Amino acid sequence: MARGGGNRSRLLLVILLVTALFFITLDLRGVSLTKGSRSVTQTILSPVQRTVSTIFSPVGRFFSDVKNFGKTNAQLQEEIALNKLLKSQIAMNSDTKGQLAQLKAVLDLAGRGNYKVAAARVIARGSASSFSQTITIDAGSSSGIRPDMTVISQNGLVGVVKSTTSSSAIVLLTSDPSFRVGVRIARNQSVGVLSGLGSTSYSLVLLDPSGTIKTGDILVTNGSEGNRPFVPGVPVGVVVGVDNSTASLTQTATVVSYANLNDLGVVSVILSAPTTAPSKPLLPSPNPTVTVYVTPSPTPQISTGAGPTPTPSAQPTKKK
Amino acid sequence: MSALRIFLTLGFFFVLFTIQESAVSLIHFPISGFSLYLAVAISLIAYEDHNGALITGFLAGIVLDLSPTSNAPFGQWALILTGIGYLFAVNRDSIADLTASPVTFVLFVATGVSIALVIYLTFGSLLGEQNGTLVHDGVVILGNLIWTIVFTPIFLPPLGRVREYSLTARER
Repeated sequence: MARGGGNRSRLLLVILLVTALFFITLDLRGVSLTKGSRSVTQTILSPVQRTVSTIFSPVGRFFSDVKNFGKTNAQLQEEIALNKLLKSQIAMNSDTKGQLAQLKAVLDLAGRGNYKVAAARVIARGSASSFSQTITIDAGSSSGIRPDMTVISQNGLVGVVKSTTSSSAIVLLTSDPSFRVGVRIARNQSVGVLSGLGSTSYSLVLLDPSGTIKTGDILVTNGSEGNRPFVPGVPVGVVVGVDNSTASLTQTATVVSYANLNDLGVVSVILSAPTTAPSKPLLPSPNPTVTVYVTPSPTPQISTGAGPTPTPSAQPTKKK
Repeated sequence: MSALRIFLTLGFFFVLFTIQESAVSLIHFPISGFSLYLAVAISLIAYEDHNGALITGFLAGIVLDLSPTSNAPFGQWALILTGIGYLFAVNRDSIADLTASPVTFVLFVATGVSIALVIYLTFGSLLGEQNGTLVHDGVVILGNLIWTIVFTPIFLPPLGRVREYSLTARER
């Protein structure tokens, strides 16, 4: 073929290239055949991935374990988990304060974050032969998961469901270059767009030209119509650097995610969220406050120990 | 390339694809990741003759296009790997027998993987795909290059033996 290689080789090359271009054209025109073939592949792959994931997960962390050898121990892991939890709680609290200031205590904190979720295990990661950043989880449409649902971890936003089969789903991670999410700054409720850059950092662009970003600002999701693809109030990340370029019309910043996307084991897919207050942040349901007014009896009685003795400072109290 | 070999090659790529998507992709490699699939596919392309390289590249691409995690349109990898097959078919004559020098072979395969990824990125950009920053993409390609150089000498001997078994008497 170096000197022509014969007409047969040339013809073969042309046929193969034309076939490939034909497939590309079909795909770009939205023919379901090509998309269906990927769905079938996912259906076939997911049971294998689930099995291999169970067997292979200790090996998968080999390189990172070697790298951190000597540093990791049970106490350190516990401290890291606690630290992440506290950071997540700070994000939630900051956002709550910002909202309360704007809404002047109209919102009722009770019942916030009543999201219905489906927990799932990560069984595969995106292939190294493509530049997309995805994970595959072991729950799919049979668990109520549909495309365009928010996926969170214990620390915050992880991504959005891209496609599903009956027993698995592919999640587009926040770090994917094609990922975009509307966010707001918890401190001043300024709205912006966060974009994945393919790495651990993200780019934030404020929509409001007069808005300000500060290092340390906490970002939460702004939410979408009908809570899909994003439910509001989910912690996303923290601003680590602000671009103060005078040439740009709006402020931009570099953001680091709360969720460690390299260490995802279990994630939750938000199946439904309360629609009554679409901009409220993700918070666990608080326990109802109960107050008891104790009327002192005229004659002191000796307790027999058979019944509970109400102690206002220590016991739950009931409001009448 | 006989019909039987096309069938066997396709089956082999499916198995390899399953291994890549299920096991290899779970490993957190330092400096990005490693595509065993691409490395093996390009090694096989390098082993083949003119027509064989084209067909092997096309088959490898079609199977890789089935990846459900891919954002690229179906057929993109087929186009790229057919092109890589063509490049190998054209250039291997000027380098003489690749299989005689394992070091050259490994470097050739690693370069082929890198070129495939660069073409994938370029083609993706033309189609409007978002593939991240230049630095990130550079790191991914560099990571693949390094890991391909590291792992190719390990799988090359068994791969050569498997290929020998699949050849018909006439092809040998």
